[in-house]
Amino acid sequence: MNYAKGKEKAGKIAFMAMAIVCIVAVVAIFVFLTVRSIPAFRKIGFFEFLFGDNWASDRYDVYKDPLSGSYGIFTMIVGTLAATVGALLLGGVTGYFTAVFLAFFCPKRLKKPLSAVINLLAGIPSVVYGFFGIVFLLPILSTFAPNNGTGLLATSVILGIMILPTVVSLSKTSLEAVPLAYYEGATALGATHTKAVFSVMVPAARSGIAASLILGIGRALGETMAVVMVAGNAPTYPTGLFGSFRVLTANIVMEMGYAGEVQEDALIATGVVLLLFVLLVNLAFQAISGKAVEKITRKTAGKGRRNVLKEMRENLSYPLHLPEVGKGLAWACGIFSAVALLSILGFLFWKGVPTLIQKPSLLFGKYEFGSEDVTILPSIVSTLMVVALSLLIAVPVGCMTAIFLNEYTRNDSVFVKIVRTAIDILAGVPSIVYGLFGMITFVRIFTGASNLFAGSLTVSIMLLPTIVRSTEESLKSVQAGLREGSLALGAGKLRTILCVVLPSALPGILSAMILSMGRVISESAPFLYTAGSVLSGMPKGYFDSGATLAVALYRLSGEGWYMQEAYATAVILIVIVLALNFLAEGISSALEKRIKGENNGKKTR
Amino acid sequence: MARKQDRIGEGYGGEIALQNTKLGYGKTDLLQRAKEKGFVQKAAVSADEAFDGTIVVKDANLWYGSFQALKHVSVEIPNHKTTALIGPSGCGKSTFLKCLNRMNDLVPECKVDGSFRIGNRDIYGKIDVNLLRKNVGMVFQKPNPFPMSVYDNVTYGAKTFGIRKRSELDEIVETSLKQAAMWEELKDRLHQSALGLSGGQQQRLCIARALAVKPKVILMDEPTSALDPISTGKIEELCKELAKNTTIVIVTHNMQQAVRISDRTAFFLLGELVEFGDTEQVFHSPADERTSRYVSGRFG
Repeated sequence: MNYAKGKEKAGKIAFMAMAIVCIVAVVAIFVFLTVRSIPAFRKIGFFEFLFGDNWASDRYDVYKDPLSGSYGIFTMIVGTLAATVGALLLGGVTGYFTAVFLAFFCPKRLKKPLSAVINLLAGIPSVVYGFFGIVFLLPILSTFAPNNGTGLLATSVILGIMILPTVVSLSKTSLEAVPLAYYEGATALGATHTKAVFSVMVPAARSGIAASLILGIGRALGETMAVVMVAGNAPTYPTGLFGSFRVLTANIVMEMGYAGEVQEDALIATGVVLLLFVLLVNLAFQAISGKAVEKITRKTAGKGRRNVLKEMRENLSYPLHLPEVGKGLAWACGIFSAVALLSILGFLFWKGVPTLIQKPSLLFGKYEFGSEDVTILPSIVSTLMVVALSLLIAVPVGCMTAIFLNEYTRNDSVFVKIVRTAIDILAGVPSIVYGLFGMITFVRIFTGASNLFAGSLTVSIMLLPTIVRSTEESLKSVQAGLREGSLALGAGKLRTILCVVLPSALPGILSAMILSMGRVISESAPFLYTAGSVLSGMPKGYFDSGATLAVALYRLSGEGWYMQEAYATAVILIVIVLALNFLAEGISSALEKRIKGENNGKKTR
Repeated sequence: MARKQDRIGEGYGGEIALQNTKLGYGKTDLLQRAKEKGFVQKAAVSADEAFDGTIVVKDANLWYGSFQALKHVSVEIPNHKTTALIGPSGCGKSTFLKCLNRMNDLVPECKVDGSFRIGNRDIYGKIDVNLLRKNVGMVFQKPNPFPMSVYDNVTYGAKTFGIRKRSELDEIVETSLKQAAMWEELKDRLHQSALGLSGGQQQRLCIARALAVKPKVILMDEPTSALDPISTGKIEELCKELAKNTTIVIVTHNMQQAVRISDRTAFFLLGELVEFGDTEQVFHSPADERTSRYVSGRFG
């Protein structure tokens, strides 16, 4: 109609286009993987593939006929489930008690630092956990294990530590959301603090805690690198606590690099099976967390108050000693969680920092072919290149999708539901599946060999859900009054969004960006077969291959020749990731302050 | 009704001319500028020049989903007068107010019918909603300054309509803040965040911000309910001043405030307009039993 109207319309179309990009990404992942896995099911047989317990890949493509290799993933399905259960028993239980400890027993002074420490656990790259497993856990286990310590126990311990922060933070949130009136009610009936906590508060947060455990399961199922480094990876059933076994994710990592035709199809099919597992878990999570919210609101609405009271009284009649045991466990787990993190960091720094000082060539040296000295400078450059490009792609797409969802649509429209589902699905896809997808699409499209461009594209899809969700959170927290104010002055929607809404949401968006940077730096599974994993010279451009820092750590620790260098690389990785976490926190709170217009200080002019 | 309308219509041309010279920022006519920059169609501009602050609503109905929030409301709000909308919570007065600059468009499932004419233009017809909102400014219950400097807050609307030149913007800021009687207290802190102001200052800044685009009508939705008595007093004074050349429609729960500042009062109850007339008449000799009970404080 006119200039302004045209601009409005163009804006809306641009935002919508980005939302469509998100849908396309999900559809592409599913379609590509499914289509590529069909030949495997056809050649190997659906039943034989899923329930065969012999995985002995062979070169079918060379011998043509008959199928000389055998592809059954049942051992790995069992292995994956066993490792997940193990992680849940160790990490889930510890996490549960740690959350109770933090919410109800922790001395006030310790609460903040402890929560921060546990959150830091979430930021540590999974290769670092795996590396810690190799250099710390396995040697200890091998003193009494029949083998070198690899197997179910080591895997469960490492996975347990990895899911700890997820379980703790979510459980703690739901425990703290229980109305205080319950606690008061219980103590008014004569319960002690401990008893009130375990008989009333914890049961009231039950569904939230269950949701946190399920989220932990999802994380354990999809974890790749850390497991690869401590599980042993022989394609057999896990037997006992020790003994090499393989999980689904590991299968892909172990063999994708040199897979023949059928083998590759079988690996992609493995990825599809993994994806289905994770999707099921996510569905369960959504069902339960939805219920959790509903339950709390229903209870506080007063409708079920009588039932709550009744439940309270019944719960209070539990035998007395149980809560006391729980209290002890809560203390023990809380302290253990903190010690676990500090010991991981302490150990790696103790071993790695001296190398950094003694061998500056590691950081600043020049790569020479055949030389015994390794340098991680090319890896640092590759990492920076991937971070830059992936954010350049993911941030605009993610932010614009979030704006479209939050500013232009109503929640009940079908399109929005599709976009939201797409984002939820993306969030659940294990990182190795992204790697697989990137390998069979981007790598094949661009140059055919691993290259940083393909790696960046792959990981940018992986970043989308985080960026969309946190941008949406910050958009939601912008007061509605500001939008009304702008519209009431005759400003169009586009101007309102760009000039009023976005600036207010900036702190949240920025911190999401920084955390995404941390995520790119700490991921390794999506890069192995997309960006490349060979430690070599400086990448010559985006279409050259290069190993990122996390991938370099995996390589260095896997070969056993460069353990000192691996320690040093781990230290660098941890420092960068933790620094980014602090930066995110700092920037968002500083900006928040500036936007809120601190009165003090400015008046004194 | 027709007779009344004639009376209201009298003498408009003169008043508009007067208003234009009074509020025009020298050579900088906002709409002229917007037209040059292609922001607004020529037709819209010429229509806008005829835009005065008379509001004529006939048989307005409004539904939120299946709930009818306004029932057959007909009212004629005169130009350059202050009209107060009173009534108990949920009676539809704020809803009615938001119809006048189409803020209800933002509410999903909101359906409006009936005729709404401001300055003899059908505001639910083929018009530019943004232009309507420029002409019909709004001040909200809770002060909502943007998280930017005082200066940027005031110039926000002008910039929307294409004014970019520093000197013109400076003039707009000064004029608007003077109109809102806060130039003296703010002239030294124009470039500090508006969020650092007190609640009352923030609300007056919001009024100044609305004035900066030279609206013909200002809608106020309980503008003083979140403020202290002193700030309230300042805003009431401001309203009286503004009413000299703007139409003000104000929603208030404060009967005394309605008496103090309004020329006309409309009493809403359960979505219906029960009574509309001169403030003095509504409060001292209400025609309707329900109005009488409400203003004498028996319910609401």
